[in-house]
Amino acid sequence: MTDRETFLNHLAEQSGRPRHQLKDNPLVPINDLPESTLSGKTQDELLAIAKENSEKVNVTFQTTSKADLPQALNAFIKAKLTDNKDDPYQANGHDHLLLPSSDLYKDFDLEGWRDGLTDPKPTYWMPGAGRDANIDTAERAGAAIAFADFLLAESGTITITTTPGQGRAFHFLPVHYLSIIRKSNILPRTRQAMDYYAPALASGEIKTSNINFVTGPSNTGDIEMVLVVGVHGPLDMTYLVVEDM
Amino acid sequence: MSKAKNGGLKTATMIRNSDHDFLTRVKESEQDTFAQRAVAKAQDAQWIKRESARRDLGNWEDWRNLGEQIRQHVVRYLPDYLEEFSDNVEKNGGHVFFAQTDVEAQQFIKNLAIEKQVKQVVKSKSMVTSEIGLDKALLEIPGLDLLETDLAEFILQEDDWDEPTHLVFPALHKNRDQVREVFIKKLGYEGDNDPQHLARFARKVMRERFLKNEMSITGCNFAIADNGMINLDTNEGNADLCMAIPKIQVVCMGMERIVPSLKEAEVLDGMLARSAVGQKITTYCTFTSKQVDGETDGPEEFYVVIIDNGRSNALGTDFEPILQCIRCASCLNVCPIYRHIGGHGYGSIYPGPVGSILSPVLQGNYDDFSELPYACSLCSACTATCPVKIPLHKLLIKHREIEMDDKHMANIIDDTVMKVVGLGTGHSSLFRTALGMDHMALAPLARKNPDVAENLYSNGKHLEWMPFVFGGWTKVRDLPDPPAHSKNFRSWFAKHKKEQAKQGGLEAAVPQAPKNSNAFRPTGEPVLRADGYHQNGHPITEAHAHAKSQTKAPSRVGHHAASLAGENVPAGSHIDGDDIAKAAAQQEGTRNHD
Repeated sequence: MTDRETFLNHLAEQSGRPRHQLKDNPLVPINDLPESTLSGKTQDELLAIAKENSEKVNVTFQTTSKADLPQALNAFIKAKLTDNKDDPYQANGHDHLLLPSSDLYKDFDLEGWRDGLTDPKPTYWMPGAGRDANIDTAERAGAAIAFADFLLAESGTITITTTPGQGRAFHFLPVHYLSIIRKSNILPRTRQAMDYYAPALASGEIKTSNINFVTGPSNTGDIEMVLVVGVHGPLDMTYLVVEDM
Repeated sequence: MSKAKNGGLKTATMIRNSDHDFLTRVKESEQDTFAQRAVAKAQDAQWIKRESARRDLGNWEDWRNLGEQIRQHVVRYLPDYLEEFSDNVEKNGGHVFFAQTDVEAQQFIKNLAIEKQVKQVVKSKSMVTSEIGLDKALLEIPGLDLLETDLAEFILQEDDWDEPTHLVFPALHKNRDQVREVFIKKLGYEGDNDPQHLARFARKVMRERFLKNEMSITGCNFAIADNGMINLDTNEGNADLCMAIPKIQVVCMGMERIVPSLKEAEVLDGMLARSAVGQKITTYCTFTSKQVDGETDGPEEFYVVIIDNGRSNALGTDFEPILQCIRCASCLNVCPIYRHIGGHGYGSIYPGPVGSILSPVLQGNYDDFSELPYACSLCSACTATCPVKIPLHKLLIKHREIEMDDKHMANIIDDTVMKVVGLGTGHSSLFRTALGMDHMALAPLARKNPDVAENLYSNGKHLEWMPFVFGGWTKVRDLPDPPAHSKNFRSWFAKHKKEQAKQGGLEAAVPQAPKNSNAFRPTGEPVLRADGYHQNGHPITEAHAHAKSQTKAPSRVGHHAASLAGENVPAGSHIDGDDIAKAAAQQEGTRNHD
């Protein structure tokens, strides 16, 4: 391999510009479109925009209250797993319910709901369970329920930080997927999400190796440009927004 | 290259993907009518999606200015950003390797695979890994099983490593029956040719492989200098599965693929998705790094290979703007020549306008790609659509100029050269397509003002270089820019007749735009606010504001173009010309139709 100094000096030499000039010439954006686009909306307006844009990318978009949240989750489990036994994926062993290990159940008053689940009994992404065990658990999941950080109104995107209790493959291996989002965490655009993540990563407030921006179910146009929804990741996605949070 | 730097030139050797000469490839491509139709269909579909995504966003020209600014800035301070990025990768516990050549990069990764004794390797689509010939090198390792996981790349791999033909839709040239045949022959598929069934089958086959994976190889859309993360955009989610499961990840990145922070990545992700596929953001947009303590999946070993491979040939030359490219492929999607000859016609892994510029740059000479700069009709649709404002058609002309001056000196202009030169500019059907290309669609037309005769030859700019072979000739004569096709006299006349018929033939067309488009401009500066442009406190249209700002300051494109020719060149393309005409018509009180 080429030594770093040799590599970088070669670039400086080719360009005719000396190195280490950046400090005195930082990037000063010529406009504020990333911030100003879609700014000044109320949370209700953002919810409406988020709904419209999520549905455009084939997301099932639902709202609920904190009190009705367990009921909404049960309906999802029933539709995707309990009443869906003929589904070929379930027939092939993808019939578990996958849940994260997280402190957030408490915030959403979901601890009682979680502990009372029986049909099917949930499996968990466990910190400390090891790579193979967690990946195996996620692979068997017919359905997963996860917590998102933010929902971006402009694009219908959820953002998720990888944590020990909610790993990367959690969001990709299960067949059906539901994401719980607080209404107060709906942001206008990707920029506002970065306004949170960039400093939080820098200060160590969040420690993660991975942030996913996910916009609907996986899809491809690779065969004759015909849209096929559900390629590698989940076949469908549900966003469940808790309105009074 | 325009600057003689042959001393330390490190060049690409593996980007050529065909042994046939250019004219043979073009003939072959012309015979593949399915591929031709597929390209045309893709171009038309993408046109609608792309333009409506850009229109929904609003202020597209200002977004382009921002995109250009970010990319120019990064290229300008590239060594500093690479230093910062590599420091941060290492701070996160990752490893960075710098490779000046394709062979260096390829050998490093091959040796890593041998050293780690991995047998199962998965890849997510990456142009740069094709560029360094990585697949072939890895397959030389006995017992190593390599899987391309992007659906299109998977199809090509199963079809005995057929060559990709498009940067975003690599298997565009294959129809569903061909895909089905490949799956039957190679994988025992038993279903029909429904794309959904084919894709589900591929999901199942690949899922089994994902779960066994020991090492992943990904590309990198953007590297984040200030935190050492890499940013990947996919729609299928294959890159994320690649990265989640195995303990080892290798990231291959072209050295210019860098941004200062998450904020600039976010801007460019949005512009990339809109330009490439008409989406606001790709389905999966991921920012990722080496596993941190407590996490159970993701890479425990994280390697980033930063690759020059001839890119530095562009630095400090007229071709430097090509390093701004974010690989959205929208220049392919608007190119009439690409429409005609398809991806295979170019004979390089980088096809289309960007490829015709980049391929000789990476190689550092014109030996393999001498014809590519002529695979262009100079319609400038590529320049107009580029989200980061690379003056693509001007760079193609620059290639011609250099090459032809060289050939002239060496007295080797022969019949073959002349035939190639004739391809883009002489072939009448091609040239017509080229002229019509930008205007045949669809959404943009619906918003257009009626054309007026005055606009026919007043795009407000001149062609500084002609497409012809004799390099020095155009330096002494400026020719007026050919009018955009919609304003070509015949098509104007036909349209005008139609309009007349609609209005009962009562009104004759009166030229409405004043000759001097500066004469009527109001004095206040246009100001951009969240709810649109304002001037002197009143809302004005976007087109109007652009027309204003164009006369005010020469844009960066103009600046670069000037550096190309050594003389002043007005900015932009005929789309800009349209904007000016539009603004002019508005100013004169012509009704705007939207």
